[in-house]
Amino acid sequence: MLLLEAHGKQLLRDAGIAVPGSELVRAGEVPRWPDTDGGWVVKAQVPVGGRGKAGGIVRVDDAAELPAAIGKVLSTRINGHDSRAVLVEERIEGGEHYLALMIDTGSCEIRLLYSPRGGVEIESDFSETEGAFATAVPATREALDGALDALARTLPPALREEIAAVARRMSDELFSSGLLLAEINPLFIGADGKARAGDSKVVVDMNAVPDHPALRKLLTDNRDLYPDAWRKLSEGFDYIELDRDGTIGLVTTGAGLSMMLVDELVAAGGRPINFCDMRTGQMRGKPDRLLRIFDWLQEIPTLKVILINVFAGITDLGEFAELLLAARRRRPELRIPFVVRLVGNGAARAEQLIGEAGQDMEWEPDLERAIARATECAQERPDAAGS
Amino acid sequence: MLLDLDRRTPVIVQGISGRMGRTHARLMQNYGTRIVGGTAPRSQASDIEFPLFDDCRAAVDATGAVVSLVMVPPAQTLEAVSDAIAGGLKALVTIAEGIPVLDALRIHAMTREAGVTWLGPSTPGFCIPGRIKVGFLPDVSLAPGRIGFMSKSGTLSYEVGLRLVSAGHGQSAWIGVGGDPVKGLRFADLAPELVRHSPTEAVILIGEIGGSEEEEFAEAWQSLACGKPAFALIAGAQAREGLAMGHAGALVLGQRGSVASKTAALRAAGVQVFTSIQSLVEAVDDQVEKPHRPISRERD
Repeated sequence: MLLLEAHGKQLLRDAGIAVPGSELVRAGEVPRWPDTDGGWVVKAQVPVGGRGKAGGIVRVDDAAELPAAIGKVLSTRINGHDSRAVLVEERIEGGEHYLALMIDTGSCEIRLLYSPRGGVEIESDFSETEGAFATAVPATREALDGALDALARTLPPALREEIAAVARRMSDELFSSGLLLAEINPLFIGADGKARAGDSKVVVDMNAVPDHPALRKLLTDNRDLYPDAWRKLSEGFDYIELDRDGTIGLVTTGAGLSMMLVDELVAAGGRPINFCDMRTGQMRGKPDRLLRIFDWLQEIPTLKVILINVFAGITDLGEFAELLLAARRRRPELRIPFVVRLVGNGAARAEQLIGEAGQDMEWEPDLERAIARATECAQERPDAAGS
Repeated sequence: MLLDLDRRTPVIVQGISGRMGRTHARLMQNYGTRIVGGTAPRSQASDIEFPLFDDCRAAVDATGAVVSLVMVPPAQTLEAVSDAIAGGLKALVTIAEGIPVLDALRIHAMTREAGVTWLGPSTPGFCIPGRIKVGFLPDVSLAPGRIGFMSKSGTLSYEVGLRLVSAGHGQSAWIGVGGDPVKGLRFADLAPELVRHSPTEAVILIGEIGGSEEEEFAEAWQSLACGKPAFALIAGAQAREGLAMGHAGALVLGQRGSVASKTAALRAAGVQVFTSIQSLVEAVDDQVEKPHRPISRERD
């Protein structure tokens, strides 16, 4: 998962890398900012690139203009993402460099990249840039230490100690926190020769989070900014909100099939609210996961239909159908149609149970037709959920 | 190596005493896989019907096992792999989801150094229908046939398999590479295997957003120029950027890992890429000859 810039920088700062003074301001909070003589930059905190071009980065010289700038950035949608918070940062200047460490998942190596020309546009071919350094080494501390030494030897003497120290701290952080990517661009070198991280792109391995207290705390403290990741961590399954104005709620299992189902619904003109991989194999005879999903979906006022899709290799669909009906009984206010598509182990008994359940539970064994039916239901019912 | 395995191949299950381990050992045996035993702490395994061993060395010495299905929790997988390598196993299938990338990198290095084939993590396993199944691919989607399947996703491949079986097409091989970013066998590793595998007359790649495996496969496939038709489905066009969609590897950052990037690379290599399950199934049905004898699922 890509961390917001503010939290990427928090990890870097905790690793001993200098970052500009800043305040993280959430929507609805009283604006505040760090003291500085040199002006500020207000930056949308969204997990996507291209913030500058999309109006998500605003330079401000006068403190009196900061509240308006903060409000403007918070209300700007950046490449499909609402900004739930902004980083108000002291504006710093200096030579712009680029430094990154990443796990190359294809070759199973670590890549170390440095360029003396950082900034917005980075040349993808580092060999074309004079003074740039790029190498890939086996994913061990020893091999990376060797690469860091090699980088240090190529740096100009005036920069050597400072940049090499930043790179070593990034390396320590990569191994200690299990990062997949740590990128600083630009890495400012000020007139005093000191390095400070101007921006950060840090990708954490969600599978490493449970064993890393600092990462776990970061997500726990900022669950409002990472609602989907927080859900995965705290609930043990995936539910990712895609469209808060959507109409079709998904209760599905299997990441690949659920992604494909979202794609096919959109292609059919539907508006799925969420991606869902509920991992039916972990339900252990309890309807809790279904109830959690129903409750999240009910928060969406435009919800019109729930589409259930489970391809059961091992899960007993008869048992799943019982849990589904039990969950529905416990949420009587959820008065919308359910299109139920269950296939695989125990489907015959599930069909019988769903058939007997009666109103608003439609059994549809074919996924193509289930998609068509859910899309149709979403268009049929103009009234909101529960009304 | 996996494509050469058959009914005679001796297979063990590491973690056979767990709920999953004992269930799937039985199901695989019923399928026809030669399960020769498993490893587990003896204190937890009093009523297991398979021969039990303390470690893989003992299991290999007693049974000649060459393949292990590793069914232990993610935090124990690295240790189990280490035991399997020390025991002399030749191919490992690790099903656990949630293995940290740094552990996966170590498993990758260990298996590579030992010359051991590694399938996983987060895989439902592999199957040569009618011969051997190691893992938990659902029988309803399996039938002997002419198509080589490889997939990052379990469930999406089950759906494609089911529809094709219903249309009369089975599989020559089915390999789930798993949805993690760091893994053992990758699509590109399987490309030359499927080219030389004579029962495979066509290939289906079921990919998804994230990483560069589809692009790597495209490069390998193009260089092999084998003439076998290849079909692909890439899930995740509507995925949110910056966040893994269920699978740890399904993460898009900018254009890196996007459906557009994968589709372009695969098409340039002559692979037919589809945006829906049904359009892929129909194209395969049009272009691939069905087995001469009507196929039958071995069990529903």
